[in-house]
Amino acid sequence: MLCLFLTLFLPLLSSFFSFSTPDRYSWLIILIAPFLLLLTAVFSLIVIFSCWNNTAGLIRIPWISLSDASISANIFLENTTLLMASVVSVVSFLVHLYSVGYMAGDGNPRKYFGMLGFFTFAMQGIVLADNLLVLFIFWELVGFSSYILIGHWSEKTQAGKAATKAFLFNRVGDAAFLIGLMVIWDTTGTFEISTINTSATFEWQTFAGLCIFGGVIGKSAQFPLFTWLPDAMEGPTPVSALIHAATMVAAGVYLLIRVFPLFSETALMVIAVTGAVTAFAGALAALFQFDIKKVLAYSTISQLGLMILTIGMGGVYAGLLHLFAHAFFKACLFLSAGSVIHSLHQAQRRDQHHFDVQDLRNMGGLRKNLPVTFLTFTISGASLAGIPFFSGFLSKEAMYTALLKDNTTFSLAVFVVMAIVSFLTVLYTFRLIWFIFMDDSRKPSALPVVEVPMIMRIPTALLAASSIWIIVSLNPFNFFGWIVTDRSNAPSIWLTIFSVMWVAVALVMAYMRFRKPSFLPNEFIADAFKIDVAYDFAIKRSSEKLATTVEFSDQRIIDKAIHASAYGHVIFAHVIGWFDKYIVDGLVHFVSSIIRWVGGIARSYQNGKIQDYILYAILALIIFIIWAL
Amino acid sequence: MQNILSFLILVPLLGSLAALLIPSKKVSAFRWLALGAVCVQLVLFVLLLRNYQPEIGLQFIEQRLWISLDLGSWGVLKADYLLGVDGMSLPLVGLSIFIMLIACISSWHTLSNVKGYFSLLLLLNASIIGTFTAVDFLLFYLFFEFMLLPMFFLIGIWGGARREYASIKFFLYTLLGSILILIVLIGLYLSVNDPSGAGGLVHTFNMIHMANPANYISNTILDPNNMITIGPLSARAWAFLFLFFGFAIKLPMVPLHTWLPDAHVDASTPVSIILAALLLKIGAYGLLRIVYPIFPEAAVQFSTMVAVFGVVSILYGALAAMASKDLKRMIAYSSVSHMGFVLLGLASVTTEGVTGAVYQMLSHGILSGMLFILAGVLYDRTADRSIRNYSGLASKMPLYFVTVLIAFFASLGLPAFSGFIAEVMVLLGAFKSNAHNGLIHESLAVLATIGLIFGAAYFLWAIQRMFFGPFDVKGVAKKLELPDLDNRELLMLIPPCIITFIFGVYPQPLLDFINPFASDFVNHVITQAKILSAHP
Repeated sequence: MLCLFLTLFLPLLSSFFSFSTPDRYSWLIILIAPFLLLLTAVFSLIVIFSCWNNTAGLIRIPWISLSDASISANIFLENTTLLMASVVSVVSFLVHLYSVGYMAGDGNPRKYFGMLGFFTFAMQGIVLADNLLVLFIFWELVGFSSYILIGHWSEKTQAGKAATKAFLFNRVGDAAFLIGLMVIWDTTGTFEISTINTSATFEWQTFAGLCIFGGVIGKSAQFPLFTWLPDAMEGPTPVSALIHAATMVAAGVYLLIRVFPLFSETALMVIAVTGAVTAFAGALAALFQFDIKKVLAYSTISQLGLMILTIGMGGVYAGLLHLFAHAFFKACLFLSAGSVIHSLHQAQRRDQHHFDVQDLRNMGGLRKNLPVTFLTFTISGASLAGIPFFSGFLSKEAMYTALLKDNTTFSLAVFVVMAIVSFLTVLYTFRLIWFIFMDDSRKPSALPVVEVPMIMRIPTALLAASSIWIIVSLNPFNFFGWIVTDRSNAPSIWLTIFSVMWVAVALVMAYMRFRKPSFLPNEFIADAFKIDVAYDFAIKRSSEKLATTVEFSDQRIIDKAIHASAYGHVIFAHVIGWFDKYIVDGLVHFVSSIIRWVGGIARSYQNGKIQDYILYAILALIIFIIWAL
Repeated sequence: MQNILSFLILVPLLGSLAALLIPSKKVSAFRWLALGAVCVQLVLFVLLLRNYQPEIGLQFIEQRLWISLDLGSWGVLKADYLLGVDGMSLPLVGLSIFIMLIACISSWHTLSNVKGYFSLLLLLNASIIGTFTAVDFLLFYLFFEFMLLPMFFLIGIWGGARREYASIKFFLYTLLGSILILIVLIGLYLSVNDPSGAGGLVHTFNMIHMANPANYISNTILDPNNMITIGPLSARAWAFLFLFFGFAIKLPMVPLHTWLPDAHVDASTPVSIILAALLLKIGAYGLLRIVYPIFPEAAVQFSTMVAVFGVVSILYGALAAMASKDLKRMIAYSSVSHMGFVLLGLASVTTEGVTGAVYQMLSHGILSGMLFILAGVLYDRTADRSIRNYSGLASKMPLYFVTVLIAFFASLGLPAFSGFIAEVMVLLGAFKSNAHNGLIHESLAVLATIGLIFGAAYFLWAIQRMFFGPFDVKGVAKKLELPDLDNRELLMLIPPCIITFIFGVYPQPLLDFINPFASDFVNHVITQAKILSAHP
């Protein structure tokens, strides 16, 4: 219990510590942060050893209570969560350790380690939460830390763009997720996963499931929202290893596993198809990349697609197994790639000779310079390709088995897709390793490339060690072990044979094809089928257009109308003024001038001449006399 | 304890008077006076908080006879000096004091006519607190109108280039709203009887009496039992619409919002902070306190309209923000978008929705204050607010970058900040509404969710353009130094950061205030609406 809370909060402590350390003592961070993460990893292992195969437990933590509802931040404990929590802690610790070497000399270790710690905390939150809303909170928080870490080198314009893109693509998925949450709240009145999973079917269930899957599409970089992940490679390589390969992108798969009972038949069908499309597209795109990290990014997309496909077909255990295996070998691949990049970069700096250190076309024959990295890269690559005696082989076998469980046309079609993707995986992995390490003819000039420091080699080596079969099961050809214990899903011997043969064929073909280096570019596939261009055109442009229209309506229509009414008022006021001045005042003036005119006439008789007055008097007298007579 | 609300209003008022007595040369005296007054208010507020009892609704009631005119056969005209706070207004009073404190610090270096500035600021302070605590409609209206005066001058004298245009536009818009409210105010006054009037006819402005249909004098214009129809709608429906649009101008709701960007762009930083953080809330407050409780059946009748206006505000505001080239204009439009959530939550009339709406009012108060401080920080250094003239500020002003990140992400609804709690509650309430009380359709909540994507888009694009990439400043600011945040600015920025974080992670303390209010509110509106619509 205490260990569990420490697993959750030690990374947060590390993050807090990193942020609050003054700049002068930033060297302390590189000591303390990995140490705290080591403790996290140790505690998580203690938890998993002590609680493995216990019955599912629930730790209740009240959070919000309203008058007619309450939301609590419960923690759910069972094998899946424990497994994931320890994967996160261990990989995060190793990446912290590696980062000490990789990020040496970086200007802002506080931000880097602070965010790395925060990410680990948020990821543990996703893993442990039993409440969909709480899970959603952490879900967005990992997106936030991913944003900051992708944009870690803020001077790079591309980094900013990639960070923004990653967050926005995730946001689109999250909006769908949120709609799913609204449906669930409306129909079930609770967010607790353990309650939702056991409750009966409800109205709108397919819709809710698909909405939540929308969140998964964003986070796990599935079709059609996958293009942010290759761009996210702008971030530091250890970040790519931790966030964009081993843990965060796998959170989507993890969520599918957690809420699996929620999905209806139709929803699962959609999930399987999406996974299949993504797996194929990712694998194909990986084959045509020249950036070493982008090959791995597309490979991650493709592998995540495979997991999602398997889960869509009902093979939850197989998806989980692959998630587990993938976390280690893909993190190892990324860290090895990081070592290659790092050593080339160092050599380049010493030699003042500039070229793109991530471009495969500039590499070759590095096996002698970087023996350890070559070894780790090959081991993890072999695991990715699904070669026997490595964990990837077993998890792939599990996935094949899960797909063939029910004999429908659909599952057969999916099986074929999976086989093709596996084939492509072998091809691009071979291509990657061959181009970097073999093929001495293209050795990058005479650069003094030397192996990376010990602090980077150790975590990589440990991850490589975690990529062999023992991590999953003792039998290198059977995936039964401590993770998959249900023996009803037995793999048939034929499947194992097929799997081995298939890899062998793929290897031979890869050797034939890539032995001689050929750099046939295919821009259409390399740019992920130009899907970004389509987005740019369909969404970005149109929303910008809409925004400009809105601004126009604001300034030209609403404000114009208001100005017009203001002018109308002023004109009306002028009319009234005119009316006042000329009609009302005119009338007054008219009346007064009549009076003046009359007065003028009357006045004209009083001209002050005595003769006139006598004349008037006499006239009056005469009239009076006449009248009197 | 008895007259604590009056003291809250009187302290800044007296401060304002005292400011008039100090000779205008003593510049720093005004600053300290204003700050002192707000600090006294803060102490009073803490007292208020300690004595507040969440289980009873309206409390700290102060009632004094204010106007009582015997009009013979017309009855008695009665208006009370009636103050009180409940679970919605108490947090808003707290917000007002907090924002006023920040505004004081932000105004510290005001140069011209310091005396006038601070006395107007204190006057504004008093009238805002008055608006949030008045329970008598006439008293409310008095404070409501009185706010316009200092605001008009604060924009018109201490503003930017187009300050006169902006202040007149602001004034005319708000005045239009006030007239609509005034018409209904008179109608209500004519129709409502004070039951404590001992048999005789006593016209009253008391809002509590207005909310009780039993108090309506029969055959008056707004009597719910005897619907008088004017044109296609009943008189009460018209009254609802008048009041709604009157307050919606303040909110501001699209399409009645265009005063806001202009007022913000041309107001100085502290005035912008007050405008966004407090004045916009008064529109929403009016809807919650007056419009819905008094006209529940019309509110239910027009709920779809209100919700549609809310959703349109959310989307329209976000799109307009996306197109803005001026940082402050963008933030102003983001306010329009955020206040749309208040309307949506209100329209749903569910406990979640109303709680979320009030929560959003408070959260937006804090966040918009922060956003305008941040815009002001840049403007103080360069006198340039165009987003495109900056790039790569992250490396030059790291502390500023961190605070902008916090404020922007909190505003776009990142969890762990208060905005998320508010928006999620509003959305949950809005979606639930159709199934629970049949008021608004689910699709409106779904559409509002798209607003969250737009919200992220404009904030992130602004960050990307201004903070990422190589450092470069174009335009007039090219040769200027760009120092990072100083202590005064940090003093203004850190408290809202902490508050929004606390209320994002642990919202329960605030919900303990809001939720009882919200459930009473929902209860009142729904039951009264049912009773009133049942009449022929």
